[in-house]
Amino acid sequence: MFLLAMRSIRHRPGRFLATLLSAFLGAAIIMTFNSMHDTAAQDGVDPTSADTLSTAAGVVGGYGTLLVFFAVASTLTVNVRQRAAELELLRCSGATPAQLKRMLVGEAVVVALVGAALAIGPAVLGGRALLEVFQDSGQVAGSVDHSFGPIAFMTGIDITLLASAGATFLAVRRATRGRERRGGARKFLAYAALLTGAASVFSTFVFSATDATLMAPPAYGAILLSVGFALMAPRLLEAVLDRLPLNGASGWLAVRNLRERAGQLAGILMSLILFTAVATATLTMQAVESDAVAASGLTKSIEAKNLETLNFTVVGIIVVFVCVMLVNSLYAATSYRVREFGQQRLAGATPGQVLGTVGTEGIVLTVTGVLFGTLAALAGIIPFTVVRTEGALPGEVYGIGLAVAVIAAVVTLGTILATTRRTLRTPAVGAVAVAS
Amino acid sequence: MFRTGSRHTHDKGPAAEALRLVKVTKTFGARDSAVTALDGVTLGLGRGTFTAVMGPSGSGKTTLLHCAAGLDRPDSGIVRVDGTELTAGGEAELTRFRRGRIGFVFQQYNLLETLTVAQNTVLPLKLAGRRVDRGRAQEVLTSVGLGDRLGHRPGQLSGGQRQRVAIARALVTEPRVIFADEPTGALDTRSAREVLRLLQQAVRVHGRTVVMVTHDPVAASYADSVLFLADGRLAGRMDAPTPDAVAERLAHLGDNVATGV
Repeated sequence: MFLLAMRSIRHRPGRFLATLLSAFLGAAIIMTFNSMHDTAAQDGVDPTSADTLSTAAGVVGGYGTLLVFFAVASTLTVNVRQRAAELELLRCSGATPAQLKRMLVGEAVVVALVGAALAIGPAVLGGRALLEVFQDSGQVAGSVDHSFGPIAFMTGIDITLLASAGATFLAVRRATRGRERRGGARKFLAYAALLTGAASVFSTFVFSATDATLMAPPAYGAILLSVGFALMAPRLLEAVLDRLPLNGASGWLAVRNLRERAGQLAGILMSLILFTAVATATLTMQAVESDAVAASGLTKSIEAKNLETLNFTVVGIIVVFVCVMLVNSLYAATSYRVREFGQQRLAGATPGQVLGTVGTEGIVLTVTGVLFGTLAALAGIIPFTVVRTEGALPGEVYGIGLAVAVIAAVVTLGTILATTRRTLRTPAVGAVAVAS
Repeated sequence: MFRTGSRHTHDKGPAAEALRLVKVTKTFGARDSAVTALDGVTLGLGRGTFTAVMGPSGSGKTTLLHCAAGLDRPDSGIVRVDGTELTAGGEAELTRFRRGRIGFVFQQYNLLETLTVAQNTVLPLKLAGRRVDRGRAQEVLTSVGLGDRLGHRPGQLSGGQRQRVAIARALVTEPRVIFADEPTGALDTRSAREVLRLLQQAVRVHGRTVVMVTHDPVAASYADSVLFLADGRLAGRMDAPTPDAVAERLAHLGDNVATGV
């Protein structure tokens, strides 16, 4: 089975591009931030510099890692779901579920290792650049040299491997069970994520207003709540669909597609909800933090300044990362539907109607994703603001929330429509004949 | 988009000839490795006929069906469905041309997995913006023997049942011509027989015109007549075909290509 896995990677490299990209980016982010731990642990680094570096690696490396884990996992889930036909064929050819699991997990491990190995070079460069940002703002002594050591290396590879192999394992298990009802594992994970998220958010109140790591618990909480919401995506989508009056052939088809594929859309919704939640929460919290520091009339302490640069750099990196993952999973999920679009066209849909259908689906997805992403973000923002400033809802949240929602909508619809347009270039009869 | 003798195309009844091809040519591939799939095919099929198109692999039968059904454009020649000529235009125009005029039955069914049997059947009507008569759809589904499967998904049906849904879907828009591309290619003998009988009924009971591409002499024997195709050219015609006669003719198809018909 492992040989089959290797062969399948070698002969269809294109198929693994999406998973390779996510493993590569994920590993690069983790390694970049965790190389700060290695840098801080070097001999001869002064305590202030070491402290700054450790905070950066601890706070950001922490929730960044969590984010990478779920982003990689969602891409891998989309990937396995798309290969249902191939798995069915192998199952009919006599492959046992255990063999299929070995094959797919084997593939995932190889792709993750290749991705992580490729990420080492960029992560070394990225780590140097990040260190320079700290040095330029005077938070780290200029004499400190960047070091890419065992911590960066091990965490990068381990997290990427764990996320890839774990997500694939769960997805294959679901796929090979055939038409059986979804087990309780998903529900359990959803509730676990929601509960831990809520606990993390509430633990914000334990911290004092001036704690340097005050931002970590609500950020962790928002991410975990996003994941919980994403796991409950099928039911959330149902709820949204019930409240939508959609007419016309495209709308009718879109609603039916979404209802039937709600389970498969969880991966995309995960990226969408994570993007909205992380971008809104971290940007708003940083704005609140900056305001609070300004209002206190004090000159910014090294720690506060530290946190600000850190956050804006990091939020930038993380937001771009999640955005790329969103495009990645949307592209993978849409390009896989060539055959379905061909069938719609053969049943009498014009290219415009096909685009109308996927466009409607995209709008419903965006609305759902942004809605629940914003909810998760607010769950993080409110406790943070209460502890930091005694207010409840900062004024910045509206502007930032709106901007994030607009970006989410543009990215989602843009990717879906552009990908669909490309698939429409194939004649309908050719599209349905595509061996998937 | 459409050229007809009369301006009142919508009020006109069905034309006497359901399908007419004049010197239709289609070539695939670049110049040096070009393959001529259709080499000046001319034919006319009357209304209410059931015609099978046969020929060895690569004889151009599928290309013929695609060109005649407006799924592909011929390089040259004229295609007229129900008196209306298929002319240049974008895919949206082609789609609008096919709607209402043409129904399809494919070897791989091409039903949408996310829709139920009933929803798949009315999909072409929905897409064309026509009124959806659920009673009529149910009637058609009952007539193909699926009256009790309305809420099932294609994935829950056997191959034969799926093909019968496809036939119901092709019938419900009341098209002038139904094109069937190897409709029994993926079916067992019993299901195949049912599907072929339904196609016969579409002609005899509902007055449709059916064009079926097949490589199976038994399937072809259900048609009123068989057109033989070899190397992109018509190579004969047989009325009231029997499986044995069709098989015999197919076996010697290479011999009389030169004579043509």
